[in-house]
Amino acid sequence: MPLLDFQKVERRFPVKRSFADLLARRERVHLHAVRGVDLSVQPGEILGIVGESGCGKSTLARIGVGLQPSDGGRVLFDGRPLAGPDRAGRLQMVFPDPYSSLNPRLTIGVQLEEVVAHYRPRMARAERRAEVLRVLAEVSLVPETALKYPHALSGGQRQRVSIARALCADPQVLVADEPVSALDASVQAQIINLLKSLNREKGLTIVFISHDMNVVRYLCDRVAVMYLGEIVELQESAALFAAPRHPYTQALIAAVPDVRRPQSLREPVTGEIPDPFSVLPGCRFAPRCRLAEDACRTPQPMQTLDGGGLVRCWKSVRTGA
Amino acid sequence: MSLLSIRDLVTEFESPSGTARAVDGVSFDVAPGEIFGIVGESGCGKSATCRSILRLFGGAPARIAGGRILLDGAGDLAAMRERELAQVRGRDVAFIFQDPLTALNPTMRIGRQIGEVIRRHRDVTRAEARDAALQLLRDVHVTSPERRLDAYPHELSGGLRQRVVIAMALALRPRLIIADEPTTALDVTVQDQILRLLKERCDSLGTSIILITHDLGVVSQICDRMAVMYAGRVVETGAVREVLDAPSHPYTRALLAALPGQVGRDSELVPIGGAPPSLIDPPPGCRFAPRCVFAQPQCRIGAPPALRARAGAGEGHLDACILNEVCHAAA
Repeated sequence: MPLLDFQKVERRFPVKRSFADLLARRERVHLHAVRGVDLSVQPGEILGIVGESGCGKSTLARIGVGLQPSDGGRVLFDGRPLAGPDRAGRLQMVFPDPYSSLNPRLTIGVQLEEVVAHYRPRMARAERRAEVLRVLAEVSLVPETALKYPHALSGGQRQRVSIARALCADPQVLVADEPVSALDASVQAQIINLLKSLNREKGLTIVFISHDMNVVRYLCDRVAVMYLGEIVELQESAALFAAPRHPYTQALIAAVPDVRRPQSLREPVTGEIPDPFSVLPGCRFAPRCRLAEDACRTPQPMQTLDGGGLVRCWKSVRTGA
Repeated sequence: MSLLSIRDLVTEFESPSGTARAVDGVSFDVAPGEIFGIVGESGCGKSATCRSILRLFGGAPARIAGGRILLDGAGDLAAMRERELAQVRGRDVAFIFQDPLTALNPTMRIGRQIGEVIRRHRDVTRAEARDAALQLLRDVHVTSPERRLDAYPHELSGGLRQRVVIAMALALRPRLIIADEPTTALDVTVQDQILRLLKERCDSLGTSIILITHDLGVVSQICDRMAVMYAGRVVETGAVREVLDAPSHPYTRALLAALPGQVGRDSELVPIGGAPPSLIDPPPGCRFAPRCVFAQPQCRIGAPPALRARAGAGEGHLDACILNEVCHAAA
């Protein structure tokens, strides 16, 4: 049974109407950030969600931990519908920016102890402190870190503290939204190693949101690719990177600069992600796709691949392209 | 003959806790038509080096404290008065910033904005400047350029804005373009388009580029030669394929080993322990020594080591590590 199960999840954001819109009695328009997403997270796996800006990956993450409601569909956690943040703290989130997600006025020890006290109120004070030190050690921070304020830490140390804060709730699922994007490459590697060891050694289930294909390839067991609010492909990581099936996934992987090779002569994908208000029916990638034809303008159901992967492109299944 | 020769450049920033030498003795050359990459992590001085060339410090308390910036035919930019330097900006050397939205005037239509760059340096009418702007937009492959002339920056997507900024940079056919993280704010599919555009335009016009980035992949894509900076100094330089395929400085090697694209899923990434030193009071000797796994006692004394060629290295491939080849072979 999946630990976290997204079923036909929808999310629309109302767009503010201007005074002129009100006068003209224009209907309120909605930005459709997440469209009918089905996704199940298996216990013990690292599931990656990748896509470019505005694809809905962060919104999906927030819905997954109950920080935002969905407008349609539902999310099951451990078999039960999720309504708001889990009171037992079994679903925890790590935010992209370790600078703004910590309280600048509290020492690290106090912030972490608060989390332990909130989720495990019966724990005695001495035990709580021991727990904080244990979690700090788990993320490879020295015990003295507990006495410091966030400003006294480097970016990498702060992101470790953010992860430690999530671990203080003793979660079953960690949803990490771009946890390494704000960090330099040398520091990024520390955090990636840490997440990997938490998964391998503690069996922590991780949903890893990122725009960085290299990081996702290295860290994740399975990968979902999102484009304009929809999942367009879902495969085992190795299979996805070895043989991406959706034309968008192919373009995304091909566009990642490679330190081992100079630029290829291949034609890059044209255009940019369109305005989400003016998307046409059917495949959302069709306007930029070199393989697109008329049949792509009709709604595209998910197709199952031989190896068990999913792809939202009728052509890639039929032609095996 | 080099187009640009930077020699022993020192740039200092005043801060409440003291004077920080963000650039400390940097030298490099850029040949005509060449794309030269400068890479390094945040605070390594790559941006400060390039902002020193046109003295574009954006109001920060910075000054060039030493060295020369020799631009072919124009003399030493470091010694120029502000008024003379203003003539060089845009005409000989243009700058492309990371964030195209802040680089454009939000209250001015695109066509007028590009036209103004031209009219500032050349005696042309408004109509002529507008025609020139239209041609520039065509050159950078902006779709329906006639319509974009009358658009405001906020009406364009990130990729289109960066194309407009590139069109403005190319407006006066400068000999050198300095691009500071030009694609960092863009999505990866758009980054690919913009890098190709920069290379294509500069190849056809013979323009040189200095490309500043934190992404070794970007350098690998379009640069001819590169420099790796650490704590205000160049630690390795050479042809891109030499430096990336056979890195010789421990810092360059460590940077590459930390990248997740380089290893299989079963091997560990190797992060670099510790943090870069303070630039206000840097440690003696090699500045990377405190974080270097190969460091010896002699690495931590004296002046920072100078760039030198290693036996068997390709032409122009230099690094600033004093350890001998035996140590390096063990790496």
